[in-house]
Amino acid sequence: MIRSIAWKNVWRNRKRSLIVITAVMLGTTAGVFTSGLMQGWVDQRIDAAIFTEVSHIKLYHPDFLNNEEIGKTIPKEKSVTGFLDKHPGIKAYSKHIKLMVMASTSRGNTALMLNGIDVKKEKQVSRLYMQLLPGEGTYFEKDGSFPIVISDKTAEQLRIKSYQLDVVVLDSLKREGFPESVIVKLMALDKIRFNTKNQIEKKVTKLLTRKEISRYGGRIVKTSEHYRLRSKIVFTFTDKSGELVNQTFRVCGVFKTTNTMFDQMNAFVLQKDLAQVAGLLPDEFHEISMLLNDGYKPEQVRKDIRKAFPEISALTWKELVPDAGLMSEYMTLYYYIIMGFILFALAFGIVNTMLMAILERTKEIGMLMAIGMNRNRVFNMIMLETVFLTTVGAVAGMGLGWLVIEITGHTGINFSGVAEGLEAVGWSAVVYPSITASFFFGVTLMVVATGILSSIAPARKALNLNPVDALRSDN
Amino acid sequence: MNVIEIKDLVKIYDNTAVQVTAVDHVDLTIEKGEFTAIVGPSGSGKTTLLNMIGGLDQPTSGNIHVDGVDITKLKSKQLIDFRLNNIGFVFQSYNLIPVLTAGENVSFILEMQGAPKVEIESRTKEILTEVGLGDRINSRPNQLSGGQQQRVAVARAMASKPKFIIADEPTANLDSKATAKLLDMMEELNRKEHITFLFSTHDQRVMNKAHRILVLEDGRIVKDEKMGVDATKE
Ligand SMILES: Nc1ncnc2c1ncn2[C@@H]1O[C@H](COP(=O)(O)OP(=O)(O)O)[C@@H](O)[C@H]1O
Ligand SMILES: [Mg+2]
Repeated sequence: MIRSIAWKNVWRNRKRSLIVITAVMLGTTAGVFTSGLMQGWVDQRIDAAIFTEVSHIKLYHPDFLNNEEIGKTIPKEKSVTGFLDKHPGIKAYSKHIKLMVMASTSRGNTALMLNGIDVKKEKQVSRLYMQLLPGEGTYFEKDGSFPIVISDKTAEQLRIKSYQLDVVVLDSLKREGFPESVIVKLMALDKIRFNTKNQIEKKVTKLLTRKEISRYGGRIVKTSEHYRLRSKIVFTFTDKSGELVNQTFRVCGVFKTTNTMFDQMNAFVLQKDLAQVAGLLPDEFHEISMLLNDGYKPEQVRKDIRKAFPEISALTWKELVPDAGLMSEYMTLYYYIIMGFILFALAFGIVNTMLMAILERTKEIGMLMAIGMNRNRVFNMIMLETVFLTTVGAVAGMGLGWLVIEITGHTGINFSGVAEGLEAVGWSAVVYPSITASFFFGVTLMVVATGILSSIAPARKALNLNPVDALRSDN
Repeated sequence: MNVIEIKDLVKIYDNTAVQVTAVDHVDLTIEKGEFTAIVGPSGSGKTTLLNMIGGLDQPTSGNIHVDGVDITKLKSKQLIDFRLNNIGFVFQSYNLIPVLTAGENVSFILEMQGAPKVEIESRTKEILTEVGLGDRINSRPNQLSGGQQQRVAVARAMASKPKFIIADEPTANLDSKATAKLLDMMEELNRKEHITFLFSTHDQRVMNKAHRILVLEDGRIVKDEKMGVDATKE
């Protein structure tokens, strides 16, 4: 009966309760959604880190990571790969040759880490091949001597990008819904090929009005982007014998991941090409990347490897990408902290509402105490009322938050406006929020706890009433 | 048999500028089955006296025995349970929980006493029928008239067959018709269920229904009058 009284009391002052409930609902929605957004981000970051950038575990010669010397290849390569073949937890592995090189074209230069890969094996441990820019070459599919796959960022640094508003580009702009007037103006630049972004921007700015620029400028320049595929890049490095070597590679594909830093550093070439020019033997590798089967923990598999090969350095993804590793461990705590702050703020509103409710019901509570309702029952009644008031809003808020996450989890949320900064540190611009059931469970507990804690002050106020005074009082 | 025995009861309020002796050396016994009115002008101490008898207020001195138990010696926690299980209350107003129906208001007190569910249901129906509201069991207080609400309050007070019922000016907010009806009903319950009623009033018509009248003046009982009818004898 006390439960039913408490529940009915919630709806006594419908308007006031609904205001509190709405506040709790919106607060919870915001908290749940924020957490979902962060979780989506973290999931994507970890997913990219593991499946594109580093894999689950990487093996090295213990000194290789310090100075990346060409001679520091993985010892006992045969027995290591034999062990990896047999370990049930290892799904696939791929061996790499890694070489720090200086890359240069006639227009620019940059330092790069060349990764010599076996295409078939590499596809089993890395999804990079799925992140080639469409229409901009392939992942070593066409034959040709010394092919290389570089990133969009590297292409920019080596200035092998060009910008041209040719017929194809103008056509696609038209299809995107650009006004005819703009297209006509741009047609003047039809035949010109610009080497830098700056140059095309200047020309476009001259042609269009201010308003058109602010509205379409960015997209025009972006769409006009071309890569000079088959461009020659000359790499300079020291081979195994210490000789300085120059070797020309030709761009066969351009990739772009969500991590600009990774992109800026890495380029991929065929293992046999690199081994040949660097003077490495067929069993000499600097790195082995592996993916694990579901249900195997990287730490556990690493332990097995270390036991078998104490002389090899084995690192898990959490160590190789420390930011993502830390995130995966501590994010949940942050979600609860965010939720805690929100609930703490809401608690003030809840307490205030309940104090008002108690004040209004002074006579009624006095009467109940007079006819024999003891302190426990009075406390329970008020506590339950507070908990109900809180949970109604919170449950609605969690439902709404879940719904928003469900929807945006499919459509994704685009942060390209601020994405350049984000992608520089490895966070993708389009986020797919996600949430776990256990988080909802945790939030529910927190909400109930908030309700209980918020009921203490109102309950004390009620318990301090003297029934005689309460009944005599004039309100 | 005496249900209530009061000896040398004094209540002094000294929380105000002038000290007020609201109840001034009262000695009184109430027998089982009495239908007694406490009358007197406003401020004569009726409420104060009833509150002390009902275990809601502590006297300055003196003691009150209810069925042999000195309730002035009980701790506040024990007093709450004592009130719940032994005394029925009817106040001038604010008697009912507005969010509950008439039936639930009556059941609620039985439930707090820990009565079995079936018993609660049948007793609630029975007592509401006795006060003439058997058909209003599912009505909310705000759907009932003032007189009907007071009858529900009496039904609630009666439900667990307490040792006595205290009613402080139960008719103060009622018109004469509703007053008469409530009093008739109380008298009938007093006769039928043999329940002791102790009520205060300053309404002449209410006094006329009482079987015993105690006149209070400045906290003292100045007159104690027994009328013809008496339910104390079986
Ligand atoms: N809580 C209180 N504090 C101070 N004086 C009080 C208090 N309650 C009652 N009194 C005084 O005690 C006297 C008796 O009051 P009360 O018992 O209410 O009389 P009645 O019910 O007959 O009107 C009055 O003079 C009243 O002012
Ligand atoms: Mg009074």
